[in-house]
Amino acid sequence: MTAYIIRRLLFLVFVLFGVSILIFGLLSTFSPERRAAAYVTTPKQAENIPLIIQKYGLDKPFYVQYGKWVEQVADGNLGWSLVAARPVAQAFWNYFPTTLELNLFASPLVIIVGIWLGTMSGVHRDSFFDHSTRIAAIVGWSLPTFLFALILLMVFYGYLDMFSPGILSSDLSLWVANNPDKFVRYTGMYSIDGLLNGRLDITLNALSHLVLPVVTQVIVVVALLMRVMRSGMIEEMNKDYVITAKAKGADFKTIYKKHAKKNALIPVITVAGQLVALSMEGSIAVEVVFNRQGMGWWLAESATQLDMPVLMSVCMFVGLVFVTSNLIIDIMYAYVDPRIRLH
Amino acid sequence: MAVLLKAQDLTTNFYTYEGAVKALDKFSLSIDHGCTFGLVGESGCGKSVTVRSMLRVIQSPGVIEGGKVLFSEKADAEPVDLLALTEEEMESVRGDSISMIFQEPNAALNPVITIGDQVAESFLFHRVAEMSQKICDAIDSGESYGLLTPYYRAMLGVAAKNPKAPLLKFCSQVPFLKWWDKPVKKEALQRAIKIIGKLGIANPEEIVTRYPHNLSGGMKQRIVIAIALACHPTLLIADEATSNLDVTVQAQILQLLNDLKKESISSILLITHDLGVVAETCEKVGVMYAGTLCETGDVKDVFSTPLHPYTQALLTSVPKFNQEGELQSIEGSVPNLVNPPSGCRFHPRCPKAMDKCSTDKPELKELIPGHLVACHHADRVIGGLS
Repeated sequence: MTAYIIRRLLFLVFVLFGVSILIFGLLSTFSPERRAAAYVTTPKQAENIPLIIQKYGLDKPFYVQYGKWVEQVADGNLGWSLVAARPVAQAFWNYFPTTLELNLFASPLVIIVGIWLGTMSGVHRDSFFDHSTRIAAIVGWSLPTFLFALILLMVFYGYLDMFSPGILSSDLSLWVANNPDKFVRYTGMYSIDGLLNGRLDITLNALSHLVLPVVTQVIVVVALLMRVMRSGMIEEMNKDYVITAKAKGADFKTIYKKHAKKNALIPVITVAGQLVALSMEGSIAVEVVFNRQGMGWWLAESATQLDMPVLMSVCMFVGLVFVTSNLIIDIMYAYVDPRIRLH
Repeated sequence: MAVLLKAQDLTTNFYTYEGAVKALDKFSLSIDHGCTFGLVGESGCGKSVTVRSMLRVIQSPGVIEGGKVLFSEKADAEPVDLLALTEEEMESVRGDSISMIFQEPNAALNPVITIGDQVAESFLFHRVAEMSQKICDAIDSGESYGLLTPYYRAMLGVAAKNPKAPLLKFCSQVPFLKWWDKPVKKEALQRAIKIIGKLGIANPEEIVTRYPHNLSGGMKQRIVIAIALACHPTLLIADEATSNLDVTVQAQILQLLNDLKKESISSILLITHDLGVVAETCEKVGVMYAGTLCETGDVKDVFSTPLHPYTQALLTSVPKFNQEGELQSIEGSVPNLVNPPSGCRFHPRCPKAMDKCSTDKPELKELIPGHLVACHHADRVIGGLS
């Protein structure tokens, strides 16, 4: 098992190499002038474009530029983020906790709710419960995220004035910014830092800002998981071993909870793992609509402003997340399904 | 001999997109105490549906439309109609009084649950009270089950009286408290090891920790049999139990069933399409065609003097050792049961069909003592004679 994990992690190096070559290659299709122009803000500075090209070697061959980038990354220098106006590594630790915080609450909910709804509607197939959850799932899945988020925002913030957008209320975030000695940002997530610093009001305030984004994320993502679980459950409930269990005298609950569910969970693990990994790069729609400056927001801004170092680093991060999440999925597979051995 | 199980006018339909498949049409059958009954017929004639209907384990879209399944576990007891029982009452019958061996051991075992767990389940469904009592007695006489012994004693005292007590159900939902049944589970596993060992599997202590994919086909079939035999059923239904095994294993399993019948089970209902197996192991036989029973009686009578044209055709289609010329087969094929033939379901393929056969459904009649046939032709020939 350990050997397997080590081998898979070694594989990560090749994935990251491939991803970086691909993204770097794509970005090199822009002309040196176009890329240098990203650093120009006033018409007067436009004169400096040839200087910028020369300074950063933007007109050098692809492999030279790539080699230079690798050299810098190996030195721990990921570059400068224009959007964040600070080094990429620093900006990452500023934006990533916001996304992580959202997923910390949304992902367990997605998994628990998705599996539960899927099991129930699969077991009670064609019942009223089944039909209503399926309709809800189709609506949740097909409604654009931004539209759904806007509706929630309109109803709960606009009419009911309950959950405001943002990460923290403005007076609290101002206080936090002015008192770095009284409020230590251990994790970068306000809901957790509030607890660690003994400021329950900040935790509660941060949580109230999380409600709508979490609800949006859960409703949009849960539909897929629910449908996979439901079809798995229906398939497993028609297998022969279910009849064996029934002929043994098993009651309905034992049949679906002990016998069918364990088998139906196997494909769900893959889907759930992929969904969680995908949401780690941040949902652009959710973060933009609810004004939460996380990974999705940062990536979207950087892409529109051709913030190359950020694009490179974030893509590498996504590759990292996917390789590790696939590794975790495979390990869980072996745990749930005794027929699978990792070696 | 006293009747153990009697199916009367059992009707089962499957509601598919094509229409209702009339898989069983007023099927009747009776099995005596201590008898090995063979049910034969072509594939798709409804053998498995019959026994699954009797145990009420038909999967959707199958629906049992009507009839009775009268079951009297004790020879002198009043029979109960299994189809009229509640689901909960039925659960206590399945696996305890009547149990079933399935045809495909690869599919019949749950791939992600250990063998021991799957066999022990039978005891956990039907023998919790008895096992709890046994453990209580052991604790009372000084045996220790670790730190939690007093808790086990209190809970198992309740379980011994009523394994479905609300207190136990509640505790099973609470973390830590739900461990009350640990000694019972351990005892059930011990019993599972014992029964697996009895079925001639070497090293049962190790086998119980394995998963189905670790075992060979013959071993898996033995495990399926162990599950069925766990609670010493009065009636064991073997649904093509040996059909997928090679001949040597098949012989071993049949021998095993015969031996077990002598010591623990009362009757066996053997479903097969292999007439040789029936001739060798059964005392009585029933021949099925397209969801109806055509002929039933002692194996010797039916096989030596078959009265139904279908039985006759079936017997001539078995290859003989000194076969001369071509093997006889039955003309035509099994009818589509969405629109079964009117009257006798066999009449389109029957060489002796009469006008009456296409309009009137023949009743099962005792034409010779102990030998029942549902055929107008046989009725005329034999009935006309007597």
